[in-house]
Amino acid sequence: VRVAVCVKHAIDEAELKVDNEGKPLLVGAVSKMSTFDKNGVEEALRLRGGSGEVVVFCVGIPDAKKTIREALAMGADRAEHIVCDPTSLDSLATSALLAAAIERSGKFDFVICSEGSSDTYTGQVPPMLAERLGLPYVGYARKVEVSGPKARVERALENSVEVVESPVPMALSVVSEINEPRYPTLIQIMQASKKPTEDLTPEALGPGGKVAGSWVLGMKAQAMERKRVVFEGTAEETAAKLVEALSNEGILPR
Amino acid sequence: MSTRVWAFSDPPEVANEVAAAANGLVNGAGGGFTMICLDKESPTLAGQEKLVLKGKGPLLGSPEAEAEALARAARQEHPDVILVGATRNGREVASRLAVKLGRPCLSEIFGVALVEGSLRGKRNAFAGKLLAEVAAQLPCIATLKVGIYPLLQPSDSKARVFDVGEVPSLTRVIERREKGSGTVDLRSSKLIVSAGRGVKKKEDLSLIEELARLLGGAVGCSRPLSSDLGWLPEEHHIGLTGVTVHPDLYLAVGISGQLQHVAGIKDSKVIAAINTDKSAPIFQASDYGVVGDLYSVLPPMIKEIRQRRGQ
Repeated sequence: VRVAVCVKHAIDEAELKVDNEGKPLLVGAVSKMSTFDKNGVEEALRLRGGSGEVVVFCVGIPDAKKTIREALAMGADRAEHIVCDPTSLDSLATSALLAAAIERSGKFDFVICSEGSSDTYTGQVPPMLAERLGLPYVGYARKVEVSGPKARVERALENSVEVVESPVPMALSVVSEINEPRYPTLIQIMQASKKPTEDLTPEALGPGGKVAGSWVLGMKAQAMERKRVVFEGTAEETAAKLVEALSNEGILPR
Repeated sequence: MSTRVWAFSDPPEVANEVAAAANGLVNGAGGGFTMICLDKESPTLAGQEKLVLKGKGPLLGSPEAEAEALARAARQEHPDVILVGATRNGREVASRLAVKLGRPCLSEIFGVALVEGSLRGKRNAFAGKLLAEVAAQLPCIATLKVGIYPLLQPSDSKARVFDVGEVPSLTRVIERREKGSGTVDLRSSKLIVSAGRGVKKKEDLSLIEELARLLGGAVGCSRPLSSDLGWLPEEHHIGLTGVTVHPDLYLAVGISGQLQHVAGIKDSKVIAAINTDKSAPIFQASDYGVVGDLYSVLPPMIKEIRQRRGQ
């Protein structure tokens, strides 16, 4: 079984700092593998089983090698790194690059993404990629069972769960409840740097280099205006103070 | 120059919210908006004009088929903007449409406006830490953040039928289970008591449930309780990848307040928190906080509320 899994090297939202004017300090910000992509890699490893190949695909800056190595440490076999600055790319452009890279790597049984990235969380790349590759697609998968040439996938929607049958090869986006991502051991982390990673340029992939039709005009810190009143003391005191405060807000009975 | 806007949603429950945003767009710019109905005309949907997309088989329920149907109609009718409700199915439909039509696609935007041949909007980024202003060149597609716009009233309107012919679907839904009937929809709850990792055992959730019941509210939770521990069904999960809520009171009990969780509660009117760790980020996101153990704070809190009610 051959599995392609896409990962994003994303700025760590918890570590991101803003300046006095509320502008984010994006240059040099701490980055990591997008949170839910770990679930994508885990599911790819599970579907690969004992034999087969998991190939990691990543569009990102040179520093994205950290994220790629983490996926390799988890157990992926090799990686293809499309080296460019993705901040100027929209989802259409990113999915075009990924589709081109996946297509030139031969046939895959599964193409896996997580439902969305932890930085921008648009969730657009997975269905765009499936559409470009012409593969059957099930989004927001929380359980995948493969039997021969078919897969039964449970997908989680807002108010319902669907069981979808799809032929294999297919593409999937997974939600975090699908599995518990493994932690690589020290030995696996050391071995990861020996696994092959191929660097690609957007130009070599052709259509991906085109100009994006949507863009970010600006970003600023969201004002979170909260009172931040904190009560300390005995349980009885603080409980009474909290109830009193909520009563004064008109939420609880006076 | 008039701008043609289409409004669409799967599920149709939030379509009239998309209609309200579409209506706002065209009111400013001249032009009209068209509500897209699938399979049959729906009298509960808003819109002066409705376009009914009909295929050989049913379209609604398969994002793949829906996107193909919309693409076929759009190639004939040339709408400038296709607004789609940012539900899980809606995101897939919009993304596929973007590829099929070669149009840019904005994601989960609000505060939409037409400016100099482009569609503009705002969106949350970095788990709500930042607010981004985004734009796409017309013609374009966008998914619209739902749960924040008022609904546009349904209207009696003329419906045109567009025959999309046979639309293939590579996958097949073999079962559809509605989630937890009888559970409260958190999106419309006015009061939510939410549990996090501070709760030590599943049985102890009864304390949270008791308080929620007393206040006539609903029970929510942070991601670990639903996704990792499975103590509550996934529809109780509030946060970036779960439900976004905007109650009058959000009471976070034993929740540390990771960004992903706070992203789902930002729009609450009042946020209160109970947590043992004084430095927990939830206190930064709260109006009122109690530093204390939920096991010792909740019982006197319940007693206090009962007393005030004369119970």
